[in-house]
Amino acid sequence: MAERETITKRMILGILVIVGIAIPFFSGNFIIRFLTNALMFAVLASAWNIIGGYTGYASFGNVVFLGIGAYVSAVLMEKGGVPFWVAFSASGVGAAIFAILIGLPVLRLKGHYFAIATLGVAEAMKALVDNLEITEGNSGIYLPVMNLSVKAQYIFFYFMMMGVLALTLIVTAFMLKKKLGYGLIAIREDEEAANSLGVNTTLFKVTSFALSGFFSGLAGSLYAYQQGFIKPESVFDVGVTVKMIVMAVFGGIGSILGPLLGALSIEIISEILTNYFLIAHTLFFGAIVILAIVFTPKGIMDIISGRKKFGISYLLQNIRDHRI
Amino acid sequence: MVILEGRGITKEFGGLRAVSEVDFVLNKKEILGLIGPNGAGKTTIINMISGTYPPTRGRVIFKGNDITGKKPYKIGRMGISRTYQIVKPFPGMTVKENVSVGAMFGARGKELNAKESIKKAEETLEFVGLQDMANKRADDLSVASRKRLEMAKALAMGPEVILFDEVMAGLNFSEIDKAVELIQKIRDEGISILVIEHVMRAIKNVSDRIFVLHHGIKIADGTPDEVLNNEQVIKAYLGRRYKELVQ
Repeated sequence: MAERETITKRMILGILVIVGIAIPFFSGNFIIRFLTNALMFAVLASAWNIIGGYTGYASFGNVVFLGIGAYVSAVLMEKGGVPFWVAFSASGVGAAIFAILIGLPVLRLKGHYFAIATLGVAEAMKALVDNLEITEGNSGIYLPVMNLSVKAQYIFFYFMMMGVLALTLIVTAFMLKKKLGYGLIAIREDEEAANSLGVNTTLFKVTSFALSGFFSGLAGSLYAYQQGFIKPESVFDVGVTVKMIVMAVFGGIGSILGPLLGALSIEIISEILTNYFLIAHTLFFGAIVILAIVFTPKGIMDIISGRKKFGISYLLQNIRDHRI
Repeated sequence: MVILEGRGITKEFGGLRAVSEVDFVLNKKEILGLIGPNGAGKTTIINMISGTYPPTRGRVIFKGNDITGKKPYKIGRMGISRTYQIVKPFPGMTVKENVSVGAMFGARGKELNAKESIKKAEETLEFVGLQDMANKRADDLSVASRKRLEMAKALAMGPEVILFDEVMAGLNFSEIDKAVELIQKIRDEGISILVIEHVMRAIKNVSDRIFVLHHGIKIADGTPDEVLNNEQVIKAYLGRRYKELVQ
């Protein structure tokens, strides 16, 4: 059974990778841009999954790492004249350091309190960036323009985002086989018990938060460079956090590929809905998300991984299990 | 040889004194029983030793080192494992993964990588007789198996001292006998054990020495026979009819 699961997972992954690499050479700029955006959300959802899914700390402020990553790159490149690759790495490291500094006090909180505190952190950072001179406040900041043709730029950012996603997923998979992964899941399942078994819970939680911040920060750097202009409202938007959480849950939290599938399917569904129902699309979108959560609370990944047969009995079983 | 010692340990929760000036000594390879009525402060003693909360006053000495007020994970890594009265499995993990966590991060964890820890967990499961359940989810286990899993997790840490908090509560007679056997087997591995229990039959058979708490105060300390015939213990805890029942 376990074997069948890994085979299915590998097949999905293989198909995704092949299609993912081939697509930009056969499609127009619109599709590439759309997919780059979807990949960014896949990175964000997968990064959220490390702290929210595996460690069990539902962060409602993860957009702060995207924002910090974006602004670190913007300020370094625009004000410091630093080359992109340096700024890109600094964005990841900067977001990770921020996660450590914020995580030390905030990760002492649990459940709703942690969620609210992280939400507050993100809002506070938005206000801070809004008022700092070095970030050019709420008028926004421009980044240097890339010296490439438009098509080449699109392809560059597409593959960069894909690379960040691959890195995120590989590190997550690697982590799960190591003590770090066991420690994090133990914390999620019962923090007090994990502590008495010798898990340094503070260190582990902060590490998890820093990893989550690192990957989101890298995505933020790419986002800023591609946009060429960023404002605090757009890169510190709470809506982005909500979206990454919905994607992770929709795809299956606590699984490696779940958030990726969630991000892709949600972006595609919402794009199609927007095309057909210009005004009411959010209504239909909301309905789809609700139905998905009710019938498959463990996410799409749970269906695909072949643990259970998909059918009416699976849906009913889920409803019974989760007492909806 | 003394391995673990409490010197005048006291715990106050606001105005309530849960444990008052208790001294105790646990010798190497000894099984020390701790009994007393509900609310006597037994679990509080374990919580103070394991670092769940620090004593208000007094010292806990482990192998000559003062460990008072250290964090639980540090105490666990130094070689003191504990179980919880209300068991705390990691419900979403398999039994083997549960025990692996103990092996990875416990006293011997530094020496083992993830793979070796999993192997150690398999050995531990065999030792406690849970090998057939290794791949079951922890929340699918029966009460007796959960208690056993709790013991396996503590044991996999490779400790020198284990604190068992009511690992026999809720078990039937044959399960209790098996648990007693297991505790003795663990002691034979060279591990010193403090065991809290309400099941008199078990505690009498398994303990080398027993000490009794009542309202947070130690009222007796000695061999099982001495303690169970102590007038004060009978009055506070066992009840008059106990003596007749036993004889």
